[in-house]
Amino acid sequence: MEKSSSLWKDAGHRLSRNHAAMVSVVALFLIIAACIILPAIPEFIQDPDLQNLPNKNIAPSAGHWFGTDHLGRDILSRVLSGGRISIAVGLITTLVSVSIGVCWGALSGYAGGKTDAFMMRVVDVLYALPFLIVVILLGKTLEPLTAQLTKLAVAWFSPPGSASAAINKTTAWVEPITTLVPLFIAIGALSWLTVSRIVRAQVQSVAKQEFVEAARSLGLGHFRILFRHILPNTLGPIIVYTTLTIPGVMLLEATLSFLGLGVKPPYSSWGILIDEGANRMLSNPWLLFFPTLFFATTLFALNFLGDGLRDALDPKSAKD
Amino acid sequence: MAVMLRSVMPRCLLMISLACCWLGSCQKETQVERANREGILLVGNSAEPKALDHQLVTGVVESKIITSLFEGLVAADSAQDDATPPGAAISWEHNDAMTEWIFHLQPEGKWSDGAPVTAQDFVFAYNRLLHPDFAGPYAEMLYFLENAEAFNKGKIADFSQVGVKAVDDFTLQLKLREPVPYLPSLTRHYTWFPVPRHVVLQYGKMTDRFTKWSVLPNLVGNGPFKLIKWRFHDFIEVQRNHNYWNSSKVALNGIRFYPIENPYTETRAFLSGQLHTTYQLPSDLIRTMKKNEPDLLRQEPYVGTTFIRINTTRPALSDPRVRQALSLTLDRDQICEHIMEGFFPAHSLTPKMGSYQPEPKLAFDPEKARALLAEAGFSNGQGFPVFSMLIARPSARASAEAIQAMWNKHLNIRVNLQNMDWGSYVSAQQSLNFDMASAGWIGDYLDPTTFLNMWTKGNGNNNTGWSDPQYEKLLRDAAMKSDPAERFALFREAEATLMDAQPILPISYQCRNYLLRPEVKGWHPLLLDNHPWEAIRLEP
Repeated sequence: MEKSSSLWKDAGHRLSRNHAAMVSVVALFLIIAACIILPAIPEFIQDPDLQNLPNKNIAPSAGHWFGTDHLGRDILSRVLSGGRISIAVGLITTLVSVSIGVCWGALSGYAGGKTDAFMMRVVDVLYALPFLIVVILLGKTLEPLTAQLTKLAVAWFSPPGSASAAINKTTAWVEPITTLVPLFIAIGALSWLTVSRIVRAQVQSVAKQEFVEAARSLGLGHFRILFRHILPNTLGPIIVYTTLTIPGVMLLEATLSFLGLGVKPPYSSWGILIDEGANRMLSNPWLLFFPTLFFATTLFALNFLGDGLRDALDPKSAKD
Repeated sequence: MAVMLRSVMPRCLLMISLACCWLGSCQKETQVERANREGILLVGNSAEPKALDHQLVTGVVESKIITSLFEGLVAADSAQDDATPPGAAISWEHNDAMTEWIFHLQPEGKWSDGAPVTAQDFVFAYNRLLHPDFAGPYAEMLYFLENAEAFNKGKIADFSQVGVKAVDDFTLQLKLREPVPYLPSLTRHYTWFPVPRHVVLQYGKMTDRFTKWSVLPNLVGNGPFKLIKWRFHDFIEVQRNHNYWNSSKVALNGIRFYPIENPYTETRAFLSGQLHTTYQLPSDLIRTMKKNEPDLLRQEPYVGTTFIRINTTRPALSDPRVRQALSLTLDRDQICEHIMEGFFPAHSLTPKMGSYQPEPKLAFDPEKARALLAEAGFSNGQGFPVFSMLIARPSARASAEAIQAMWNKHLNIRVNLQNMDWGSYVSAQQSLNFDMASAGWIGDYLDPTTFLNMWTKGNGNNNTGWSDPQYEKLLRDAAMKSDPAERFALFREAEATLMDAQPILPISYQCRNYLLRPEVKGWHPLLLDNHPWEAIRLEP
């Protein structure tokens, strides 16, 4: 008798045999670990905002592995601390958008009938809005939030009465994130549309299957059926879509920062570093090369991982 | 892996072949070569103009286009800043005190629709700009006329008391409130240009702002060119105006102005053969250009100052000690050496102009700055509000980031930087809806008043909320002096007052760094950078 194995076990097995996906996982892990851990070690990485004008425009060398920019800031530290912001934007925004999309799509697909029609028309209307313009407007409208939020967050992490140096230190890492909150909300609130469509279709097809009938005949509530029995069966496409959304959102953040609407100076993200580097690529090409290298590697890795997961999670693919 | 490569390969090949096609097409004829053939000058112009009604704008960007469409009483010379060739006026004379001037207009002078340019058009223009209902942002340029200020501020309602009169169709009489020996060069500024009365009135009342008269296809001018195309955020094209009195001397068939806001993009456009000249070369590219393209690089003196404008109506910023502290922590030598390369550290507001040199008031002294800030109640930056500084051009970002770091390091205060497009940037300042702004001022004529007169109460270019009766009295006293030495002494005193109060924090004296193709002829270095378009030729 063939030993039974779950979908997840099979998928894991298939994924581990996909070399591109595995290399991507390792690359992603390394980049994320470097961005999170290294900037916290002052002996290794200098302050990314520290300017040293006489040291400007140094080509990559032993003292500055990635060189310095036009204000004498170390590019290695800027790439790593910028990576924190870019990755945070990618993860948080994707989380917001996927949560909204999954709930909306699942409810719509499960309810069916007029509710479904209404909910999908809402999606249609949102689809029709010019995405970038709405994101910009929404981001601008929500901007007054940021000052308030920064104050709250700083007070949370270093309570009033702390030394001013400690407050400054907290502000330095809290502020770049809180200034982006309006952007998280704006992007998240508009990029869930495709997920909701995918989830709705999945839910509709799963809801007709026998095990759902069985659950219903046992007298389970709608909520339990939907979230305990149907949704887990649609996880495959959701995970795949998520890995593909992260790079999309990171690109969008880069676009908005490129337009001057994302992260505010002196903080940086990969998008800003690439913008500055592109401006100066005639004179100092390394300013463009290193941030682009990190950004492109992350995007490629996420795409390959997404492709790999899609292949691995396809239940119709042959067992081997 | 193999599967994936197969799906990626065709896409890669497609991209590569597309790139090859694109490179191949560049081998043909560049935009500049085509423009050379057609006699059209391609000019990088930095930003989309706020308007082409010259009575509603204050910028250099607009000035470049407006001087091609309109002409003042006196024209500009292509090689000399102080030469005064005839423009809309063929000749002029003045009384000994230089307070009464008569301009004789060109009898052949025509608007681009064929109507004659008359003295009444000038009177109408000055009436319009000075009218309190019109609220012209640059009306102060006409305050040299007798009673103009009183009329502009609504103190007198009768325009006939203002010192401008049409003696007959072709004779214009100007009465000034003070001796102005440099009046001919002053009239080269667009605030002194005429407007086509018959067209303005066709599209609204005299005092209506932003009516349809100054857009396509209605705009009518008396300059060497006329407007034929205005593609928003793409380009503005002007074409030779055959009704211009000196049309036979005009060599170009047309000019196209490109509003490319990012100077790095503009430089790349120039190097790939899309522009004849750029608006500005970013200072960190100067060294590269010197090495690679020395023939295309132009570095010329310029009458301009960069500064930070401060909204003195904001709490904390209303305290002069705070503003001095901010100024004392600007390391101008470092900024000019490393960021604004080629510019000079500012010692005061007005750059050296002829024999006028202001008292050097600005210094770098963080110790004193910290003491002043503590005196104002913000010891070690405690409790200092977080202000934001407006930036309109990407090229200003580097210096703004350096200033942000300097204030943080020396005063322990934080400032946010905010990017804005040119139009919103100007509006935010005019409505005092800002904290600080990275700004600059280019002289309109060669006299210190072009830098000093704007910091008076209610002036459309002041935008700081600051004014000082003592300062204004010194300027008024200076205006009445005809001896240049006495006059300049009073200006020095006034400027010292301004630099003690510091509603603006000067950073550097500018110089003009830009790129120009060798086939552009008749383009000489000018302090005010007003190259008369009619004198420019293309000789590929």
